Amino acid sequence: MTSHPSGEEIQDLLDGRLTSARRGEIAAHVADCTPCRREFAALSWARQAAAQLPAHEPPPDLRAQVARALDREARRTLAARSLRPFAWAMGLAAAGAVAIFLLARRGPADLPAAVARAYAAYQTAALRLDTATADGSALEAFFARNGIAFPTRVFDLDMMGYHLVGGRTQALGGRPSALFVYQAASGRTLICQMYEGTLAQLPAGGEEREHNAITFRVYRSGALTLVFWREGALVCVLASDAPTEEVIQLAYAKAVKA
Amino acid sequence: MPLDPDAKRAQFEATALPLLKGLYNAALRLTGELEDAGDLVQETYLRAYRTFDNFVPGTNCKAWLFTILYSVLVNQRKKERRAALALPTDDLEQRYYEGAVATGDLLADAAPPMPDERWGPEVDRAVRLLPEGLQAAVLLVDVEQLSYEEAAAALDWPIGTLRSRLFRARKQLFVALQPYAREVGYLKSPPRPR
Repeated sequence: MTSHPSGEEIQDLLDGRLTSARRGEIAAHVADCTPCRREFAALSWARQAAAQLPAHEPPPDLRAQVARALDREARRTLAARSLRPFAWAMGLAAAGAVAIFLLARRGPADLPAAVARAYAAYQTAALRLDTATADGSALEAFFARNGIAFPTRVFDLDMMGYHLVGGRTQALGGRPSALFVYQAASGRTLICQMYEGTLAQLPAGGEEREHNAITFRVYRSGALTLVFWREGALVCVLASDAPTEEVIQLAYAKAVKA
Repeated sequence: MPLDPDAKRAQFEATALPLLKGLYNAALRLTGELEDAGDLVQETYLRAYRTFDNFVPGTNCKAWLFTILYSVLVNQRKKERRAALALPTDDLEQRYYEGAVATGDLLADAAPPMPDERWGPEVDRAVRLLPEGLQAAVLLVDVEQLSYEEAAAALDWPIGTLRSRLFRARKQLFVALQPYAREVGYLKSPPRPR
């Protein structure tokens, strides 16, 4: 090769974007040609410098801000879905129809499956906590500040050997929920979620138990046990891969009649 | 078929949210403002979530997010044109080739620049001063390590445009970093002729 390759071709050599024939040709030229060798070195130096660009830590609350934006989006989507049949009914009414259409409601989400997914995601570190704290009151205040409109009750399970790790807000069936995590010394994880709802929204198939005049619904998903109960306008659920009876006893200990 | 809302959220959080730091850093360089960078990241994630059903699992989620981020940014910039801080072409060419010719042989044997407490901010400043198009090319290819094809798709440019802008960006970075690099010995001054 007698003529010099263009600067962009020298860059192609650097970035490994040449065919093998062309690569051999240009590499041989660059090796023998001082100006082209220098250009190759300068481009390589600049590429290495760019790769050393320091990474800045995002603001600590950015992840929570994104989560809240996603929660708002989930609620907006849910509301839009609920209104769609309503809009259709209004159209019929405008056309003179006399039938009355009720606002259609979205069918029940599989809430136990959703909680089980959150548990699995936390175990694989795919689900991260918004805040790490062993202080239940601080966590309740965190939920109040971060879009949980209902009062939360973060349990003290220290006496049962489960220590609070932290929590996050989490969409559950399209509604906001407070999720908090406990860890036992054995490494076993217990997750609690609280959300506004009723036990009637749970799917069939759970085992029903009564304790102190409170109804509990128990579901199993693989090694995971999920125990749901209602406290006023809220539903609480405990989920863990501890033995089923242990999880149920934890729920019995913490549930209060509202 | 649309994903169940909970499954969608869990998948999105597992796939897209871990990339927040890289996205934030790119946003920070492209906007130059902490607050704007946070807003841009939030808007990017919101749009990504709305269209997550279109994301093909197994493909490069980072490239997909950068596509959205850059699209949001370009739309914002249409409203408020930012002045590009480009070196005049002739000046850039002259300073680049003078620098490259003067230092090239030494560069070939030189160790890569090693970061010290001032080097990072110097690189940061040099990248921030690149004109927007050049900056995006270097951020996606050299910093985020996307392929030419992924970066070109994210930026909605032909590959040839990406290639030429990347070339120009690297030249401008070289020129911008030379003074400090020489001062601290990352680039050696050419030997004086006998």
